[in-house]
Amino acid sequence: MSALFRRLAWWRRRRVTEEELREELEFHLAEEADERQDEGVSSEEARRHAHLDLGNAQLIREDVRTLWTWTTVEQIGQDVRYALRTMVRYRLVVGLAIVSLALGIGANTAIYSFMDALLFRPLPVPQPESLVLVKWHSKPFKILRDSEFVMHGVNGSFDRTASGVTASILPFAAFERLQQASGSVFSGLFAYRAAGTLNVIVRDSAEVATGELVTGEFFSTLQVVPAAGRAFLPGDDRDGAPPVAILSSGYAARRFGSAQAAIGQATLINHVPYTVIGVTPQHFSGIDAATVPDVYLPLRTSVLLETETLAGLLDQNYYWLDVMGRLRPGVRLADAQTALATPFEQWARSTARTRAEFANLPALQLKNGAGGLETLRRRFSKPVYVLFAMVGLILLIACANTANLLLARSTARRREMAVRLAVGAGRLRIIRQLLTESVVLALVSGVLGVFVAFVSIETLSQLLANGQEANGQQAALIDARLDWRVLSVTLVLSIASGLLFGLAPALQSTRPSLVPALKDTLLADPHRRPRLWARMTTMQSLIVSQLIMSLLLLVAAGLFARTLTNLQSVELGFDPDHLLLFDINAAQAGRSNAETAAFYADLRRRLSESPGVRDATLAHASIIAASRGLPLEVDGVRASASRVLNAGPAIVHTLKIPLLRGRDLDERDGPGRATGVVVSDLFARTYFADRDPIGRRIHLAGPRPDDFEIVGIAANAHYSDLKREVPPVVYMPYGQTPARPLGQMTFVVRTDGDPLQYSSIVHDVVRRADPRVPVMRIRTQTEEIEQTLNQEIIFARLCTAFAVLALVMACIGLYGTMAYGVTRRTPEIGIRIALGARQGTVMWMVLREVCALAAVGLAISVPIALLASRLVQSFLFEVKPNDPYVIVSAVGVLVLAALLAGSGPARRAARISPGLALRAD
Amino acid sequence: MSRTSSDSRVELLRGTLDLLILRTLLSGPSHGHAVAKHIQRTSEELLKVETGSLYPALYRLEAKGWITASWETSDKGKRARYYRITALGRKQLASERSKWDAFARAMRLLLQPGEGTR
Repeated sequence: MSALFRRLAWWRRRRVTEEELREELEFHLAEEADERQDEGVSSEEARRHAHLDLGNAQLIREDVRTLWTWTTVEQIGQDVRYALRTMVRYRLVVGLAIVSLALGIGANTAIYSFMDALLFRPLPVPQPESLVLVKWHSKPFKILRDSEFVMHGVNGSFDRTASGVTASILPFAAFERLQQASGSVFSGLFAYRAAGTLNVIVRDSAEVATGELVTGEFFSTLQVVPAAGRAFLPGDDRDGAPPVAILSSGYAARRFGSAQAAIGQATLINHVPYTVIGVTPQHFSGIDAATVPDVYLPLRTSVLLETETLAGLLDQNYYWLDVMGRLRPGVRLADAQTALATPFEQWARSTARTRAEFANLPALQLKNGAGGLETLRRRFSKPVYVLFAMVGLILLIACANTANLLLARSTARRREMAVRLAVGAGRLRIIRQLLTESVVLALVSGVLGVFVAFVSIETLSQLLANGQEANGQQAALIDARLDWRVLSVTLVLSIASGLLFGLAPALQSTRPSLVPALKDTLLADPHRRPRLWARMTTMQSLIVSQLIMSLLLLVAAGLFARTLTNLQSVELGFDPDHLLLFDINAAQAGRSNAETAAFYADLRRRLSESPGVRDATLAHASIIAASRGLPLEVDGVRASASRVLNAGPAIVHTLKIPLLRGRDLDERDGPGRATGVVVSDLFARTYFADRDPIGRRIHLAGPRPDDFEIVGIAANAHYSDLKREVPPVVYMPYGQTPARPLGQMTFVVRTDGDPLQYSSIVHDVVRRADPRVPVMRIRTQTEEIEQTLNQEIIFARLCTAFAVLALVMACIGLYGTMAYGVTRRTPEIGIRIALGARQGTVMWMVLREVCALAAVGLAISVPIALLASRLVQSFLFEVKPNDPYVIVSAVGVLVLAALLAGSGPARRAARISPGLALRAD
Repeated sequence: MSRTSSDSRVELLRGTLDLLILRTLLSGPSHGHAVAKHIQRTSEELLKVETGSLYPALYRLEAKGWITASWETSDKGKRARYYRITALGRKQLASERSKWDAFARAMRLLLQPGEGTR
């Protein structure tokens, strides 16, 4: 190390030292001359001898200098300077290469930044690697079918595969049991639950905030120290404790001005008084990337907010909490797994009732929790992997393209290389020079690529944000950013691709034997033929590989485009135009169930009487987002496939669903009155076959049974996600589900003209009804539908863009290769024309080669496409992965593009004048 | 490069120059010319130090940190670059010297077996 510094120091003062060396040698000469003079030689003679004795002073200086110069570094510096000069000389080729590489590197960087945020970046807490996610696994079972599995109720998501079910949600009782059992392996264990939107009133102004329910050990386990105030203590999270809240730093600043100002302040959260005791630090934004919480509340005190929590705390078969722990120092994940498996199994056994439940108990599964909860990872990791594969292909095409351009250029530089080899440059030295050139080129592209990535990340984040809102969440996002983790990957990617596309041309251009290259004639030397052929095959195989990758992307683009068109042309069964939607929760302003129902009925009346409003109604969710299943029975038979929309009067009419028989829901069907329901045509056919359903009864089983009378039949309309099949639907009055207290509702307003123009009217009407109740997520029905198709729209757009990009790059490569081939063969073609070949024949000669390349490419890529498209099957809708229409059109587009790219050189070949061609050599 | 070596002189073995320079500097600081002369004289003119090897060697030793250099005034009043051996150089000299001794002994044993086994 010190040697390195010494050299660096020397390097810096090299000029001084060189001066010194000259002086030193002068001194040596003088001494030598003096000495000889003393021996009696004349001064003239003495100097001459001294000089002879010293030898070549210049050479000595050279020798000494090699000690100083940091040779490798200097040589690389030279190489880089030379590379830059060469790049300027071959602007066009290099420009094309840089643009294609920048797009490739930029796209990869952008997608990688999403992957990093999603899969690799740890939580911003101390020692994230010791955090553990508590999950469980079981054999497959039918969800919520009674007596088949211990999970009777669920609020959260889980993964189902052929091998079974994996989930990270647990009942509260399981958390308590694990807490007792885990003292020896965990230093802390907490439970966590997203509370959705809360109505937070500060100094009489009501706003909506995102809430999280956490147990008292949350902050201490994560080792997050508050920016102000204190963290939760176990005492804050028990029955009867005074309600306290912790705010995020951003939210505290917004509502109170600063973190300090928020401490000790009183707030009304869903009309329950809470005191702010702490504010989280700025860098901490919760443990779930899917949400950015504003307010943290202790889990056990939240029974004051929603009665649902109380039921959840008590019900051992209700799965709803995420649980995370922190390993004690020195304890491995496997140790913790062993220590907790048995207590968990015992607990699960204690909740089982039937034989089926005993036979399939959930088994504990601990997992590394450094990245926090997996909500986003589950939803987005597969799409992101698919995108990553696509941009990987783009980069490979860009590399192949650049390699091709460099190969063509290296032919032009063959003389330069030959001269350098001839004057004694080592082959390795030249290869290093050429590789430096390609790495410099790649790095320049990398810098440009970072800009491309910056723009792409912004755009993609925006696109993804649209989709999240549709899923009923606020736009908390995959926090993709260009930090050092991502940029270092970009750097590696650039250098790697530089080496990748640079190696083949470098090896090839330093190989040719010197003599023919120096002569630069091809026809003169018959032995050059095979060599030329060898170079052509490298170029051709690069072209073929580009065509292969382009076809894969074309097929993907075709599949996703068809999926999107299929989804967009889904028969909705209702009219989404001129519908304005908004969410509202009057219960959060401290109303009882009956008061809330009255408020909603009043608000519906006020809205329907507003000018320009044709109809207004409400439902528990928009019909596109709803997915509510209730234990309904028809004649004692469980209607388990059926879904319910809890709705207000005139729901069928407002949505413009054709009413087939009977009547729509109306005011008579309100809470506490007659209990009429409308069913869908499919429901009638499924559960009544050919009997007349009007006047028949539907029974609601469960803890608080009820009976409903069918008063109308509506045509089938799309319910829930467009990708799902339409289920049998029951339109049930909204106050009518006794188990569920009335909470947030979605109002549906049919307007004359553009619905968005009515948003100010809606705000006005609601403010006049109750200023404490905020209007949430105001949007049109068509917007909402588009948002649910967000992933498909992104995929179709990105994929089409990728495919076009790939095709353009492949065509540039093809054009370059063919043009190069035509130039090489000018004399030969000239002779052919001179001998009477017709223009058409010459053109066909060139195009035949294009067709051959395309044919080889297709022969390889079509089978790959057939296999690879299966991987994206889950993203497709009503398209088979090997859809012949898509494959045939992709092949057609590719062949057309290839012929188009080849037609330029072909025409040029046909126009070669034999006289000029023969004289040219 | 011109060579003026006479028949009576022997060429320096590769690698021995460093050792000789270090040994010479052990007796006190000296400039390049004086080092060359000292080696020549002490070896009874048998060894001739080529200037072309001397100065690169001096700079190499300096780069390795075995000697240091500074500009001083010579006895004749001229500015000259004086070299001094460093602690690191002494250590190096000691180890090189023992290696050389071993090598020389081995050569002697091999070339004059009678004397060696006495």
